[in-house]
Amino acid sequence: MKQWNVMLRKELSEQIKTHRAFLVLILFCLVGVISPALTKLMPWMFEFMAEDLAGSGISVGDIHVDALTAWTQYFKNMQLALIAFLILYSQTLTGEFQRGTLIILLAKGLRRWTVLLSKLAAALLFWTAGCAAGFLINYAYTAYFWDNRAAEHLFFSAFCFYLLGAWLISLIFPASVFFQSVTAALIGVCAGFLASYLLGLLPAVREYVPSFLMDTPPLLTGAASSSEYLPCAAVTLGLILLNTAVSLAGFRKAAV
Amino acid sequence: MNVLEIAGLTKRFGTKTVIDHMDLSIPPHSVFGFIGQNGAGKTTTMKMITGLLKPDGGTIRVCGEKVTFGSNKTSRWIGYLPDVPEFYGYMTAAQYLALCGEITGMERENLREASGRLLELVGLADSRGCIRHFSRGMKQRLGIAQALLNGPRLLICDEPTSALDPVGRKEILDILASVKDQTTVLFSTHVLSDVERICDHAALLSGGRIAVQGTLEELKTRRNKESNRSARAEHSLRRPYEKIVAKETLQIEFQTEKDLQQFRVRYPSGEAVDRTTIRLPGDAYEDMSSILSDLAQNHVPVRKLELLEPTLEDLFLEVTAQ
Repeated sequence: MKQWNVMLRKELSEQIKTHRAFLVLILFCLVGVISPALTKLMPWMFEFMAEDLAGSGISVGDIHVDALTAWTQYFKNMQLALIAFLILYSQTLTGEFQRGTLIILLAKGLRRWTVLLSKLAAALLFWTAGCAAGFLINYAYTAYFWDNRAAEHLFFSAFCFYLLGAWLISLIFPASVFFQSVTAALIGVCAGFLASYLLGLLPAVREYVPSFLMDTPPLLTGAASSSEYLPCAAVTLGLILLNTAVSLAGFRKAAV
Repeated sequence: MNVLEIAGLTKRFGTKTVIDHMDLSIPPHSVFGFIGQNGAGKTTTMKMITGLLKPDGGTIRVCGEKVTFGSNKTSRWIGYLPDVPEFYGYMTAAQYLALCGEITGMERENLREASGRLLELVGLADSRGCIRHFSRGMKQRLGIAQALLNGPRLLICDEPTSALDPVGRKEILDILASVKDQTTVLFSTHVLSDVERICDHAALLSGGRIAVQGTLEELKTRRNKESNRSARAEHSLRRPYEKIVAKETLQIEFQTEKDLQQFRVRYPSGEAVDRTTIRLPGDAYEDMSSILSDLAQNHVPVRKLELLEPTLEDLFLEVTAQ
């Protein structure tokens, strides 16, 4: 347990000293700020472009924006933030393999599971902090400009997206362990998401694949209830545990 | 009891057998040179001793305890310096030693004392900067400090002097020689002079097996008439003929390219090293008098006439041929 504490502390301080924590914070704060700002500017932008659009035969009517528009925009922007986060953390384990920094520590008797779980925990911790920062900033601005009651299931929608991100983060590790390259880690994440997306095209399993958690608009408008997303959330949680177990088993046998 | 006992160790990568039923034993408080060409399997063997690589057969015992792949049971006996030690660049040397000490479960007070003492030993006590700014030599010295941190019974260093300048090499060798009383040192190298300088025991790894193993004196005896001294021509002439070394090569550096070309007409077997230098295969001592006569008769001045010491490869070929 002591080794786990040491490694978690090392991982967290590494995020700060290598400025990764700072980048994550900036990224999510930007999403939190930009989403309501863009929504607020949307009517003005359309008005500004109305003359040009009219010249092309397109007429622009009154644009109505509210908290729901801002939250829809927020979840779209969060997808980009998630991609950036995954790229940023794709080399968390492969970087150690490639640089050979684990050799000395493992030869000292460091338990392998502490390496992997501390890295996963650090990544999830910063994903949680980032999501929380983005959400709170967006919530505050949206409340200031409009009324957050226009959007339903805000916290649950954010939780669904958070869980989707956690699943994709957990996918980095099996790919890293088995292929030990950053490209393979990213391909593994993409392949996992693509498989989920393609399976989601089948109506029978649509509501059980992790990518379903990305479908937040029906939740925000109130067209869907949170209970409809619970099976999918449970499956995703199970897949996160499975990814972790597979990574641990692979890492136990991996040559470093 | 030997600090390290290896019996029948085998490791294959695909169809290639890198280590083939290797036996090796290292007595306590020795400085043991583990010699082998690049790719001979030195690093592979060391990684198996540290439990970082899984053997395909055989057993390894450190201080009587069996090494198991992936287990940290024997780690407490071992200090390991990899061939290219890599650290976390954002840490200072002291922070890195603190991380290592905490991983091995050292008490805070012990850790502080050992860390200060070892940084002093390796000459890094005054370095306050991050490791990313360290030179290769500084990293090697930090590597030795971390390897000695928990007072190991066996210090394993994988080619610690490779790619270091002469000053850096001397520093590392001095440190290794100085810790002999505290621990047993196993260090791999392909530089024979390093072995002769600090080792009391050595083993030659060839073809995945230990070709020869013993004290340095025993190895030198085995090399019987061999002597790897290199000498200028005037010194060589004074050497008794019974010390003739079959593998030594005669190398002549002429004053001009023309001299070399003319000499080459008379000795076509000579291999040109550069525009003015030629190397003569065959028995250097037997050929020497005729060559010297030839040079004198033809009034050819030479800049240098040298007996080149046999390379490690030559020694290997000789030892393994036996």
